Amino acid sequence: MSKSKLCVSALALSLMLGFAPAHAAEFKIGAEIPLSGNLARVGTAMNEGIQVAAEMFNKKSGKHSVKIITMDDESSPAKAVGAVEKLAADGVVAYTGGYGSNIIGPASEAAEKLGKVYVTSGGVASELTKRNLKTFFRINSSEGYARALMGMFNKQGVKSVAVVYSTKEATEEVAKMLQSGLGPQGVKVTMHAFDPATNDFKPIIHKIKLQDRPDAIAMIGYENDYVGILRAAKVLKPDIKTIAGVWSLATAKMAAEFPDLMENVSGTSTLSYPAEFTTPEAKEFAETYQKMFNKAPDYLGIFGYVQSKLLFEAVARAADTGTVDKGGIATEMRKTLSDTVIGKVRFDESGDNPEFTHRMGQHQAGKVVLVWPSDAATGTMKYPAVPW
Amino acid sequence: MLELTLQSLFSGVLSGAYYALIALGLALVFGTMRVINLAHGELVLLGAYISYTAEEKLGLDPLASLPLALAVVVGTAILVYYLVSLIKTDRELNSLILTFGIGVILTNGVLMIWSADIHSATTPWYHDATILFETLFAMQAELVFAGIGILLVGAVWWWLEKSWYGRALRAVASNRDAAKLMGVNPQLTEILSFAVSGLLATVAGVAIYTAKVIQPAMGHHLTVKAFIITVLAGMGSVPGVLLGAVLLGVVESLTVTLASSALQELAGMVLFLVVLLLMPSGLFGRAKRRG
Repeated sequence: MSKSKLCVSALALSLMLGFAPAHAAEFKIGAEIPLSGNLARVGTAMNEGIQVAAEMFNKKSGKHSVKIITMDDESSPAKAVGAVEKLAADGVVAYTGGYGSNIIGPASEAAEKLGKVYVTSGGVASELTKRNLKTFFRINSSEGYARALMGMFNKQGVKSVAVVYSTKEATEEVAKMLQSGLGPQGVKVTMHAFDPATNDFKPIIHKIKLQDRPDAIAMIGYENDYVGILRAAKVLKPDIKTIAGVWSLATAKMAAEFPDLMENVSGTSTLSYPAEFTTPEAKEFAETYQKMFNKAPDYLGIFGYVQSKLLFEAVARAADTGTVDKGGIATEMRKTLSDTVIGKVRFDESGDNPEFTHRMGQHQAGKVVLVWPSDAATGTMKYPAVPW
Repeated sequence: MLELTLQSLFSGVLSGAYYALIALGLALVFGTMRVINLAHGELVLLGAYISYTAEEKLGLDPLASLPLALAVVVGTAILVYYLVSLIKTDRELNSLILTFGIGVILTNGVLMIWSADIHSATTPWYHDATILFETLFAMQAELVFAGIGILLVGAVWWWLEKSWYGRALRAVASNRDAAKLMGVNPQLTEILSFAVSGLLATVAGVAIYTAKVIQPAMGHHLTVKAFIITVLAGMGSVPGVLLGAVLLGVVESLTVTLASSALQELAGMVLFLVVLLLMPSGLFGRAKRRG
């Protein structure tokens, strides 16, 4: 290379460097999440989605990047608050994560006091968005779960439902939404609350079998509750037409672990199994997830991904306007209007996503088929159909 | 209503036998050493996870996995004893702190090795229904382990009352120095007590894995349940454990049927408080002094 060409190249390079973004930066994001304790499984799954979101964002973003600093809240509200404060001391600009309404509540209030955005999908209780917090955001809600269950029961034409629900805050809320939504439609609803420590469901199912005699049983609980309820139902065989539940039920993991219990059971689900990803973003998400964790993504990972992606984009926009430390992230979050892999997301003044409505999936021959709503269905709903 | 109540009583008795299996190991160690092993629930959990691994990796039936689970859990129980034996002062209080810490380590060890997913036995036979007298329903696993539980409670009681080693255990609990003068090796008998406690925890763990669901965080809850039954029974009383466990199971089950399932745990605690108010030493308080 001649001397003149070398000089021109050096000049060009220095000009390019000179025009490089002046404020390109790496932003620390706090992931406050349960990786141990009784919420460890769901927290771990959500955390995987957060890591995928960071990987994809950093790969695409030519300007800003994010670094996730993860702290285990050990499924404890007090430790979650401690984690939020410690992460702030470590210089994070916002938080993603959180699981369990009772944990998210105090943790997000601590984030509010620090003036930092807290985004989650792990707590659906209405109380969370009734606190008028300026920095709290959530992509899903109890209403979305209840709407999906009611939609499926309406399509099936069931006349009576026995609701078996855990007395935890979020589960009780969904159960009561189901009761208040189905009752006025002329559907007879009977309610059976159970303590979260319950492990023998035969007395409840026997009561339902002999006294309620419903068309359907709705299970509002968690994985271990579903297994207990379905085992009891398999023993007592109540004369029902369908059995359905909410989160962590219509999943690949439940299909693989409990094949004898899951056939024909329905539950809220963001995607079918095997997953059918159609949009380019969803395909990239699935490929990245598979590469990073050597398994197919589940719905908790998808929620973790979506909430984090929206946060990272808001941080980047706030950085461009120089308002990261001046409340700009919350302002940018409120401007969100995005068609994500869980559907449309926008945030109202309370930080809730009014667009959220879940889908219903049904276990069929080792797969999860989406059966409601019709425009998202990937197969035909089996009704009447039970696992025994 | 009669059918509902009968089924409720039956379910309560089956739950009681399973509770007794969990609680007996804790009661035995307290009865013989005056040590409340707060890691007992985690030993139960460890037994359950070994059974899960044996079924998952080796295709073993949960009952056939018992020898493997026994080796691991009894070994761990003896290790717990060794750590407890290092305490030189105020053993009753310091052992509480130590065993609580061991429980936390075991829970996190289970979490690291097996992840946070829930698991349960996949052998369908255990989950099939057995119908007695055309009205009483039970899972076959519940009947199997209720039978094993009652047999084990009886065997431990017989062993403590009739065998030389059983008497030696009670002698050490009653007066360690006097027992030594009578030719009893206190260390050996205490190790034996922890080993038998580990055996009972193993069977309880396999029972839970077979009939119910396991997850890493459940150890603490199992310890609390075992502690309630042990106090209800009269600290250290072996026959009291069976009665206390069945009573607790029946009260919980009847509460679900006659009132609300949300009150099930509360009813158990009310029973606990009522018994302690009326009988401060528990149902078999005198048995405590006899070991």
